[in-house]
Amino acid sequence: MKNIFTIIIRLTLSCLVAAFVMGLFFVLTSKAKKHNEHVNEEKTMYSLLGYKDVASVPQTVKLYAVYRYIVTDLKGKSIAYLVPTGQGASVGFSFITLDLDGKLIDQKPVTVSADDAAEQESRDKAIKVALGSGKEIAYAEDKTIIVTENGARTAYLINGKFPGFKASISVMLALKPDFGIRGMAIVEHEEDPGLGAEIEKKYFKNQFIDKSFAALKTLDVVKEPLPEGYRKSLEGPLDNADDEKILQQYKDHAIYALTGATISSRSVTNGVKGTVAKFAYRINILDNVLKEQNIVVPF
Amino acid sequence: MANDKSSMQLVANGILKENPIFRLALSMCPAVGISTTVMNGFMLGVAVLFVQVCSSLTISTVKNFIHPRIRIPTYTLTIATWVTVIDMVLAAYMPEAYSKMGIFVKLIVAFAIITMRLEMFACKEPVGASFWDGLGMGMGFMIGMMTIGLVRELLGSGTILGYDVLGFKPLLFFILPSAGFFVVGLMMAFFNYIEIFYKRQKGFKS
Amino acid sequence: MNLARIRLVSLLALLCAFIPGLVHAQELISKQSFGEKNEIILKFSIEVNKAQAADINNYSVIEEQDPDIRLELASAVPNYAGDGVSLHFKGPLNTTKTHIVTVKNLSGDTVSVVKVSKPYLGYLFSILISALLINNFVFTKYLGLCVFFGTSKRKSTAKGMGVVFTMVMVVSALMSWFFFNFILIPYNLNFLQIVVFIGLVSLTVQAVDTILRKVNPILFNSFGVYLVLVIANCVIIAVPLMMANNKFNIFETFMLALGAGGGFLLALYLMSSVSERMQLAKIPPTFKGLPIAFIVAGQFALAFLGFSGLQIF
Repeated sequence: MKNIFTIIIRLTLSCLVAAFVMGLFFVLTSKAKKHNEHVNEEKTMYSLLGYKDVASVPQTVKLYAVYRYIVTDLKGKSIAYLVPTGQGASVGFSFITLDLDGKLIDQKPVTVSADDAAEQESRDKAIKVALGSGKEIAYAEDKTIIVTENGARTAYLINGKFPGFKASISVMLALKPDFGIRGMAIVEHEEDPGLGAEIEKKYFKNQFIDKSFAALKTLDVVKEPLPEGYRKSLEGPLDNADDEKILQQYKDHAIYALTGATISSRSVTNGVKGTVAKFAYRINILDNVLKEQNIVVPF
Repeated sequence: MANDKSSMQLVANGILKENPIFRLALSMCPAVGISTTVMNGFMLGVAVLFVQVCSSLTISTVKNFIHPRIRIPTYTLTIATWVTVIDMVLAAYMPEAYSKMGIFVKLIVAFAIITMRLEMFACKEPVGASFWDGLGMGMGFMIGMMTIGLVRELLGSGTILGYDVLGFKPLLFFILPSAGFFVVGLMMAFFNYIEIFYKRQKGFKS
Repeated sequence: MNLARIRLVSLLALLCAFIPGLVHAQELISKQSFGEKNEIILKFSIEVNKAQAADINNYSVIEEQDPDIRLELASAVPNYAGDGVSLHFKGPLNTTKTHIVTVKNLSGDTVSVVKVSKPYLGYLFSILISALLINNFVFTKYLGLCVFFGTSKRKSTAKGMGVVFTMVMVVSALMSWFFFNFILIPYNLNFLQIVVFIGLVSLTVQAVDTILRKVNPILFNSFGVYLVLVIANCVIIAVPLMMANNKFNIFETFMLALGAGGGFLLALYLMSSVSERMQLAKIPPTFKGLPIAFIVAGQFALAFLGFSGLQIF
């Protein structure tokens, strides 16, 4: 009997010690983990915009984040956006709720600092405080970054997630103000190395650059070999005149599929099409509402 | 007696005579699965080294307090704790390398080699010897992984540690996961060949 | 008397199960599903006006997660009998998402709303097939190899190991699911995943060992020796980790565990069949034992690569 007692005590003690050690490391590393994720995302964003790092971004360029939420109340569902409002020094946040047809339901000011707005937990809390009871909010995992230079819009940064050949593929897209594609970065995927994983390579990714919004609507994938001259230009630095000419030549051409990875190529193309189409629809509605209601925004 | 072996001998033992991958044929899952590049092999080798050394040290330090009936659960608990620690550290400080290894870092807890080493060595030997033995085993694993990674990376994508050495891709097959089996099998056969050859030489001499 | 009672009760229960079906007969849409190429097929319980059915303005389709974006319809084609319609869409349909179809003006003023999604049973079945063939844990994911090579020498050992493993796998996966969802997540203890899962596996193995010893000593004699090997198997902890990563519910976890165990059994059986033949073959001495086993396993892995990308549902 005493034996079992000692066993149990010793086992519980060891479990507690182990849990303590793990808890300690968890607390120490979780901050570093969040910081790293943040830094990685920033790096992708700035490289898509053409800047090498945060330091080389000029002062005139500003980034504003708009977050999309789904609000459910007794009447049904509605879409809402957390938008930075105001101009110059006095930039605050507003929670703008729209119905499913794109008409404004209401607009509530939200008190939250810029840092807190970047973290989902603190953002949700601040919005709940502003909305009051009776409404449920759910973050739609949709963050749009609007890039302005001297107050005028120069680019949009959006995220897309869609099913690939194996698991889902996450991309970050940089769009021009007219919704043409400025650049694409593959954020996450689980495709086969050497086959589907080639979507990360420049000769596939860069084919999307400069495709106009109209061309995107009917963009298709062709199973033809990539012409050698086109490939060289895609992999080059993209800034000399000869490359420009070749790239212009293929600007409205379909996407050349990857060898042995047609399905991955199709998934990415369809995913990009769907993401950009949905984004364009939504940002137009938001802009209409902002104009109609004369809501002042810094972008 | 194992006590008489010097620390260097213990380390060498882990790397050559009782190499976990090629001689003891244990913990082959990662050897086949993610040894696609030298870097992957190195990172996982570092993780296993860390877990092995820390677990050996821990068990060796508390070996007098472990009740014989709950030996195995204690080993499992120790290994699981250290695996969780290295998992969190790698995820926080080396996210790209960590994401390439996927689930294998967490699976270190199921490696038979670590439990066996604790059972056979750490619970009987003093702290110092356990440390060197753990180091040897971990290094043996790491070197094994890196060798397989070297072969696969060189023959598969023509690069070593990311640097383009060959300038072209010989056989894409070697990066594909199924090639891991072939490469490990052939390397084991190679080691076997060396051993048989060596024994035959010895046989001729005597 | 008892038997008659049981029959009566079961008959009543069966009838009760049908009542909802009878009530729903009043609904306009009796069946809905995804069609072959970018289409949704609706079947009505009554005949409708074909001209109305062909008017795309009577339909509104959205994806459940994006209620504000109406999918553009290219055309609506009523079927010959007039009791069904096939909606064709301009863009590709993402059939992995649930779509909500709203129909109006087809039977007076009523507005009918239905959800269209792939059948759930099909989804569960696809998880099973995925763990069994497409993502076979031994040949595609390279887990559980140590035990694999040790027990694949003869068919009987292979069968024993596979069966024992599947049993322990299912039980420990279900237990892990409970622990994960009711203790780890609510209390924010996610970092204890590894310890908890391996602890549950050890517990299961110990429990099965004790129970088998007492209940069926004969079975224990043939299978008991494999129980210890289960803990050293990477797959046993890979399944709870996958479950935690993808946040499966209990049915999906069960299917995953079953598929993992089944896949392992399949792999063992295939390997042992070849192994028995190899013992009669002339193998060079350098390759005898593990090296040739690895090469054969590599060939199986190549074969299983053919299942990659298979999509049943």
